[in-house]
Amino acid sequence: MTMAPELRDIIEALIFISLEPLSLEKIQETLSDYPPSEVEKALNELLQKTASSAGGITIIQSGGGYVFTTRPEFDPWVRRFLKIDRKSKLSSASLETLSIVAYHQPITLSEISALRNVDSSYTIKTLLEKKLVKITGRKKSPGNPLIYRTTERFLAYFGLNSLDELPTEEEIAKILGEDQTVEQAPKP
Amino acid sequence: MNDLPLRATEASESYRVRLEVFEGPLDLLLFLIRKKKIDIHNIPIAVITREYLDYLNREDQINLDREAEFVLMAALLIHIKSQLLLPREEPLTEGEEPRRFLVDQLLEYQKIKAACSILKEREEEQLALWTREALPPLPEPAEPDLAEVSLFDLAETFFILMKRKQAENFRVVRGQTYSLEEKMKDIIAELEKDGILDFLDYFNRQENLEAAIVSFFSLLELIKARLVMAVQERLFQTIKVWLRRESKSRQ
Repeated sequence: MTMAPELRDIIEALIFISLEPLSLEKIQETLSDYPPSEVEKALNELLQKTASSAGGITIIQSGGGYVFTTRPEFDPWVRRFLKIDRKSKLSSASLETLSIVAYHQPITLSEISALRNVDSSYTIKTLLEKKLVKITGRKKSPGNPLIYRTTERFLAYFGLNSLDELPTEEEIAKILGEDQTVEQAPKP
Repeated sequence: MNDLPLRATEASESYRVRLEVFEGPLDLLLFLIRKKKIDIHNIPIAVITREYLDYLNREDQINLDREAEFVLMAALLIHIKSQLLLPREEPLTEGEEPRRFLVDQLLEYQKIKAACSILKEREEEQLALWTREALPPLPEPAEPDLAEVSLFDLAETFFILMKRKQAENFRVVRGQTYSLEEKMKDIIAELEKDGILDFLDYFNRQENLEAAIVSFFSLLELIKARLVMAVQERLFQTIKVWLRRESKSRQ
């Protein structure tokens, strides 16, 4: 009874001090004197507590672990403090290329370009620079083209924990269904 | 009362967003298919080609860097139409349908676009969340990477300073002489007062060219005598001067 809340607070302290998203495994490893199932339970309690209470910060699961973040509504003040006008977003070409890599990986540049019907060499270069995709080898086919995959950073950027959390077929189908009904206004 | 006009502008704003340039040919084709409420599995190629070429001619609607790719798609559309027009002895089987390849591409592209819109929302959400490790490092207190300069660097800077001084094109007052010793004392005095001397600034403060030259020689003398340390962060930038004993305590 009195054990559980204590454990919850310990976990909170660990997440607070961790420099990177802290995984459940790592928490369990640190708190090896507690049964793993109890640690997991306490973690869930902590998440519920932070989610339901007000305040400037909260805990999210991202990049395979738990991490403290500011709540989205405080974005304007955080940016004012950090002197950042706005975070730059990905261009639509980048986003398109990135989703193709995400869903079709491993994939080559010519395959990407074929799917988009647009030469994508420049876009893939920017994505490489942003470390959102990486080269993982060469395909055993004529010309031995490079093979691209998404990175851990890609997951963290979109707040995903694994590729399984990419939008599913159902979510996509839903969007497509909505789109068809929304397209009412004709262009002049 | 105020609500209505506001909403109207909002609507026209979002309308304008829709009119943004089309990134690629599939982008435009999909748009036309939706606009004309065409069944993607049964595209009337003639209709869509006409519309497509129409947009191609309005050059502000497409990304001009991608013009070649847009034109290529137009060629593909016309090719498909010609295939459809060819008289055939037997009806085409499913696999031979000339539109098949394009339809498959469009369907896949449509899915990607939908996934993009979901990811875009996620991106938006994520960008509003700030974690501590994402904080940029605090600016270090100004301590530039210092490198001691050679006499050649100093001499080079000297000539640049000379040129600047000459460019000022003022008259030299004759009859006044400046002593090296005096200038050295003056520099030391400045250093003792401020701890550091911006030599470019000091040089420019000199009343005339002769004084300026003497001040530079004085600096060289002081360096030679190891009384001061001179540092230039980058070529052609100012030379900073410290007293030597200070330089020891700085280490």
